[in-house]
Amino acid sequence: MHEMSLVQGLLVQLGELAGEHGKEKVITVTMEIGPLSGVVIDSFEFAFDALAGESVLTRDAKLIVESPPPLYRCCGCGKEIRADRRPHSCPLCKETLITTEGSDDLLLLRVEME
Amino acid sequence: MCDACGCDLKPEESHDAKVIEVHQSLLAANTAMAAKNRAHIEAMGAVAINMISSPGSGKTTLLEKTIEALGDSLRIGVIEGDIETERDAERIRAKGVPVIQLTTGGACHLDAAQIHKGLHLLAREDGGDRLDILFIENVGNLVCPATFDLGEHHRMVMVSVPEGPDKPAKYPKAFHSSQLFVISKTDLLPYFDFSVDAAKAEALQLNPAIEVMDLSATSGEGFGQWLDHVRDLCSRG
Ligand SMILES: Nc1nc2c(ncn2[C@@H]2O[C@H](COP(=O)(O)OP(=O)(O)OP(=O)(O)O)[C@@H](O)[C@H]2O)c(=O)[nH]1
Ligand SMILES: [Mg+2]
Ligand SMILES: [Zn+2]
Ligand SMILES: [Zn+2]
Repeated sequence: MHEMSLVQGLLVQLGELAGEHGKEKVITVTMEIGPLSGVVIDSFEFAFDALAGESVLTRDAKLIVESPPPLYRCCGCGKEIRADRRPHSCPLCKETLITTEGSDDLLLLRVEME
Repeated sequence: MCDACGCDLKPEESHDAKVIEVHQSLLAANTAMAAKNRAHIEAMGAVAINMISSPGSGKTTLLEKTIEALGDSLRIGVIEGDIETERDAERIRAKGVPVIQLTTGGACHLDAAQIHKGLHLLAREDGGDRLDILFIENVGNLVCPATFDLGEHHRMVMVSVPEGPDKPAKYPKAFHSSQLFVISKTDLLPYFDFSVDAAKAEALQLNPAIEVMDLSATSGEGFGQWLDHVRDLCSRG
């Protein structure tokens, strides 16, 4: 449910950006939500639909979410592996201890406004 | 002339759509406030621990026992986060240390702005402005608190034996972002199908650097290593 408060923060930021650039309407908002960000994309979209409708600026805004698969790193040899699921073992050195690298971003990438 | 609608604006000031590249974290404001909190806590002479777990894993009980054991040798302060009620703060106040309760009014996590307010409230309590260690008991929830840096120096995640050993895999962010994983209520191990080794292995898979300990606040088993850990954090701070 923290998706609600995150979306509230996003809407404040969109208001500031619109003010800075002298724009009145947000057309698209593109976010990157990393798979390990702790944010549920469905909940984020739901919160956006619910809250964006409350202001003229964002009423018709479309939310685009990019979510690249997580990046894994072998604890043995350091090889980086981009995959949807945790690999059982490292393809190079067969190490089974594999950790994740970043993949927890929660970024406002760009906004299209008019 | 503007191509879109034929009005007489010049193209560079057209009301055409404009794409603004932002590339900023939604958490930027929280992260900035957390950095201020960290400096504030250090100025108080303290290190802060953010305690994250599901409701009822035993956070407040662990704090009560810790204050009983270390309250004479360390200056301990507590910020309690709860959705409603003052109950946990009352339990801590009864142990004689400075404590304040933050009620989030429905929000499922504490954020850095709330802690900032909390630090100022705590400073008004007797002894609340000079501490060796500040415990922040987050709202009982394994999901949302993990996303918000509060300005702590150390983050711990706790799972009690009745909750089962599969929590790391189900709530990766909490384990990924913590330095310590405490398995609590080990006095209940005979009654539950809980493998301490399996839980440890799952947590290490997510976060190879995480330290793991298991303890029971009721029987006192494993408590010594927890107290050593707390003393060690204070001396590092
Ligand atoms: N058997 C057993 N019970 C415990 C232990 N520690 C805590 N409990 C019990 O677990 C229940 C919840 O403990 P609390 O300390 O209130 O848990 P909490 O994590 O602070 O709960 P919230 O603040 O509601 O999230 C209480 O009934 C405690 O007595 C333990 O080590 N063993
Ligand atoms: Mg509690
Ligand atoms: Zn939540
Ligand atoms: Zn390898």
